[in-house]
Amino acid sequence: MFHYFHNHFQALIRAFIRIRYNLIPSSIMIAIIGITLCLPATGYLIIKNAAQLSSKIEYEAQISIFLDKSISKDQIEFIDSTLKQSKHIQAVYFEPKLKAWEKLQTKLKLNSLDAGISENPLPDAFFVTLNSLEGNTIEDLNQDIQTLEGVHEVIIDSGWIKKLRTILYLVEFILIILGSLLGIVLTVIISNTIRLQTLTYQNEIQVSRLIGATNSFIQRPFIYTGLFYGLGGSIINAGILFAITDIFNRIAYKFENILGGLFLLHNLSIKEYLFFTIISMSIGLLASYYSVSQHLNKLEKNI
Amino acid sequence: MIKFNNIFKKFPGDSSVLENINFEINSGELVFVTGSSGAGKSTLIKLISVIEKPTSGEIIFENQKLSELNSIDMPYLRRRFGMIFQDHKLLFDRNCFDNVSLPLLIDDTSSVDMNRRVRAALNKVGLLDKEKMMPVTLSGGEQQRLAIARAIVSRPSILIADEPTGNLDKKYADEIMNIFYSFQQVGVTVIISSHEAPSSPIKYKELHLANKVLANKDVPLLS
Repeated sequence: MFHYFHNHFQALIRAFIRIRYNLIPSSIMIAIIGITLCLPATGYLIIKNAAQLSSKIEYEAQISIFLDKSISKDQIEFIDSTLKQSKHIQAVYFEPKLKAWEKLQTKLKLNSLDAGISENPLPDAFFVTLNSLEGNTIEDLNQDIQTLEGVHEVIIDSGWIKKLRTILYLVEFILIILGSLLGIVLTVIISNTIRLQTLTYQNEIQVSRLIGATNSFIQRPFIYTGLFYGLGGSIINAGILFAITDIFNRIAYKFENILGGLFLLHNLSIKEYLFFTIISMSIGLLASYYSVSQHLNKLEKNI
Repeated sequence: MIKFNNIFKKFPGDSSVLENINFEINSGELVFVTGSSGAGKSTLIKLISVIEKPTSGEIIFENQKLSELNSIDMPYLRRRFGMIFQDHKLLFDRNCFDNVSLPLLIDDTSSVDMNRRVRAALNKVGLLDKEKMMPVTLSGGEQQRLAIARAIVSRPSILIADEPTGNLDKKYADEIMNIFYSFQQVGVTVIISSHEAPSSPIKYKELHLANKVLANKDVPLLS
């Protein structure tokens, strides 16, 4: 067991030495991996934040039910109990027209005399929070509510959220495809770099084989190099994402007043960064293993 | 120790290089593989050191048929040979010490043992004071001695040298040959390919190649 770990430690040291010996090409390689990885990662960051925003709004999504002005108290109570019985409704809030009128006056800082309004123009209203955004459910609910006596108008204000969620779903799908394609690109880039390295170290590989090195012994430093490339790339990726969120949030603070609210970009969690690191290192490992194995197979045929 | 039975070797697209080669090398022998240029000496050396595989026939090493060995076991067999190549095959991007330590690195020797053994090998070939130097700064004879140090550092039971004195003048060549003789005297089997057998009054076996076959295949010459 000691020999096994000692072998790996030696290979790790050799990989370090090779990277240090080829510092500039290795740094460029790591930067390329980092930037390539950053493209799907940034997309994911945006999607994640947009999804969080949509779920927050979804919570506030509701159906507004405006009642006839001449509606009786009994009818209001009947509508209230009917709504509360529906399994698709999470919460029901009734706002009497008087209260609505007072709120409007306070908000607009006027009174009825100033405005020249002789009577309250607002109707009684129910504001219903839904627990579903299913199109058919909302439509059925809408029709049911409209058949209730005393209901004047029903306004569904969740349609745009559905559109947003659909767009997010599509973007997520595109990101998965883009991420997969970029993964292939990374595999090709790393495998080509490792192939070039095997050519650089061809003499060492050849001599090592002739004096009894196993394929694993020859492969290990290259595989560790691939893993280092992946790790380095994921660190660059993390740095770029930190910079993006920081710059975005600084700008968001500046425009808080203009936008009427603060929308901050939340960075990825440690788990998500770990996920990108594992993906990146796995690509490094697979690409380097494939590349050096190909090279060794060619040598095997020649000997 | 090493036995060749009816060995034929042919490279793709080429006529045969070796035909019906039969011989046996015993432990501790000094063997010279001789013949003119293109006689197949290097191919025979490569077959002995398992770098090449025969087209037909059987090579037996310590009662083990090499054709039965799989590719996983092959590197471990190669570690038992100390190889000195015609073109030295030194690594010019690392110093003398690192060149010599390569077999020990492959064999996973501890660093303390490695330092001791590399210095002993360099001392044996007279290059101890040049351990930090790069091979490119060494003369042809010194590069050859460095290659010998790399071959002996893992204490192999068989030393195989492919034309080790081919490009050296007589003084350097004699120095190199004396190193090989000293190893044979302590029980190491030494196999050397050369244009001609040595003129020194030493005991050796000669495998002379002419026209693709062993000229003296029945009775090895001893002098």
